[in-house]
Amino acid sequence: MTAWIDGQAADRNEAVAAAAALLAGARSPLIAGLCAEVAAVQAAFDLARAIGASLDPAAGAALYDDLGALAAGGAMTTTPAEARGRADLVLALGRAPWESGLMRDLAAEGPGRGRAAGRPRALLSLGGPGDGAIQHVAYPVDEAGLPAAVGLLRGLVAGRIAGTHPLADLSVRLREALYGVVLYDPAETGALGAEMLNGLVKDLNESTRCFALPLGDPHQGRAVAQVSAWSTGQGPRVGFGRGTPEHDPWRFDAQRQVAAGEVDAALWLASLPAPLPAWTRTLPTVALLGTPKGGEIGGDAARIVIGVGVPGEAFGAALWHPRRAAIAWQDPAPGAEPQALPPAAAILADLLARLTAPATGGPASPPAARSADEPTAQPESPASC
Amino acid sequence: MSTLTLREAPPERLDLGGLHPAALAGLSETEVARLPVGTSRRGLTLGDCFKVSLDGSDELRIVGATERLDRVGAGLGAGRIVVEGDVGQRLGAGMRGGSLTVSGSAGPFAGTAARGGTIRIAGDAAESAGGAVHGAQAGLDGATLLIGGVAGDRLGNRMRAGLIVAKRAGTHAGARMIAGTIVAEEIGDHPGYGMRRGTLIAARHGALLPTFAETGRQDLVVLRLLARSLEGLSPEAAALLRARQRRYSGDLATLGKGELFTPAG
Repeated sequence: MTAWIDGQAADRNEAVAAAAALLAGARSPLIAGLCAEVAAVQAAFDLARAIGASLDPAAGAALYDDLGALAAGGAMTTTPAEARGRADLVLALGRAPWESGLMRDLAAEGPGRGRAAGRPRALLSLGGPGDGAIQHVAYPVDEAGLPAAVGLLRGLVAGRIAGTHPLADLSVRLREALYGVVLYDPAETGALGAEMLNGLVKDLNESTRCFALPLGDPHQGRAVAQVSAWSTGQGPRVGFGRGTPEHDPWRFDAQRQVAAGEVDAALWLASLPAPLPAWTRTLPTVALLGTPKGGEIGGDAARIVIGVGVPGEAFGAALWHPRRAAIAWQDPAPGAEPQALPPAAAILADLLARLTAPATGGPASPPAARSADEPTAQPESPASC
Repeated sequence: MSTLTLREAPPERLDLGGLHPAALAGLSETEVARLPVGTSRRGLTLGDCFKVSLDGSDELRIVGATERLDRVGAGLGAGRIVVEGDVGQRLGAGMRGGSLTVSGSAGPFAGTAARGGTIRIAGDAAESAGGAVHGAQAGLDGATLLIGGVAGDRLGNRMRAGLIVAKRAGTHAGARMIAGTIVAEEIGDHPGYGMRRGTLIAARHGALLPTFAETGRQDLVVLRLLARSLEGLSPEAAALLRARQRRYSGDLATLGKGELFTPAG
């Protein structure tokens, strides 16, 4: 089964028509999740522009901890591949790096390229649980927490705090490294901590090389940030209510908008696994859910549920590649049946065509024919407050 | 006095930025009613949501306000705006002068980038009051922000100039401050995280960061001058400044030219 309306199995075409009807009359529609291949995310931005919707990726909160720090003060970052090739020191902040698998890769070899080539690689942990199988030096974080410890380390590195201190030795190691890498998860450091560690990295670059390496989120957030940048010039929490993209991380936070009762219809896009928020069952919602081969999705996830193909499994797709820290093409799984389920991008394009069709009820016009900045789907009721 | 009266709870967030006495002066009530305030594709106008009554004076009253009204008083240059009720985010954003008063509470980023004038919030203010919005150079930037109730976390986040007085504030008050002054009866944990310069004064505070260093007890003339200037705005804040103070210097993680004063009990 691949489509449901009100929990009842339905023809896919009927479900798409019902989805278009659900979104057509909405005052403030929301397109959330965006845990999908680049083509589908791009199609979601196109649809949002046409119907005046706002967008927020499932990865939103943690992504904005990093984007906020980036927008405020910039960042000097590297990629996992560069870190493996060049780093003679890796500092893991908190728990997340130890759960990422990257620490094992980094422990397996020393730097083979660049100025630190041939040196041993030191693995250091600040406030992390460590891993018994990986040789590393652990520095504790007291009850003040990780962001406070990062600030303290920055003060020590810059020489503004002197004297004996448990982290003084760590600051010396960072200064003496030829190519240091600070590995962190913005969800764990928070926006203030991320900005502080970017400052630490910049301070170190006064005398040596050091880079920040944020762990990607598992929900395509980094790819969504890029699609949003090339589609709107801004971060992914944008709204098209007034025609042009408005970037407002507070206003377009999906969780906040739904809790405040500001959303009257929603589309949840997750062709890859993402935790389903509770509101998809309470708000009039269309859910496009990736259905793995031989797997099942629940038809009760939302008022309208449409199964879509899993990118990189059912069909080839551009997805976030965590190792390369870039969008990369992923081929389908061997033996995939490409036509078994449509890609989410096709459903979204179908919705766009239906919602931008002339009001006379004539055939749908191709999306390319419309002006990019004009919301063409008109509200049904006249303006009233 | 001109008055805008909200007819009913608005069905979407409204943007009242730029609606101030000087901007309305040359317009008729019909023209003002046609000004766009909606944020959805419905294209709501002021007249759709408010009863408009203008008299050309430099005072504007907004009656029946709710937390869905964003950017109230944004860009105000002169005159007076009095709000009866609550407001949403970015109250008085980029304000340059005049006075803005809210009888209820304010959403986040009240007074962001405000360069002049006085903002009074009788109730509470949500997070980042006087704070910078995403990617902005500065939060409060020279204006005066008075919060009668409780301010949320990150009060005065990246503020660059001006004065904030609040009764209480959450965690990270004065985070990333560039300069300016914050006075509160009580502030939460880790005040001044990443502050470069600026002054925090609080009768009580939560846990201090390890990057703040005590620099002794002080009786500074500048604090007495500040107390005198605060007398008219907030007698409680002025009284707080007259006590003998213990001074902490920070945040040594960054430039470290900021300071936290707390009465030396």
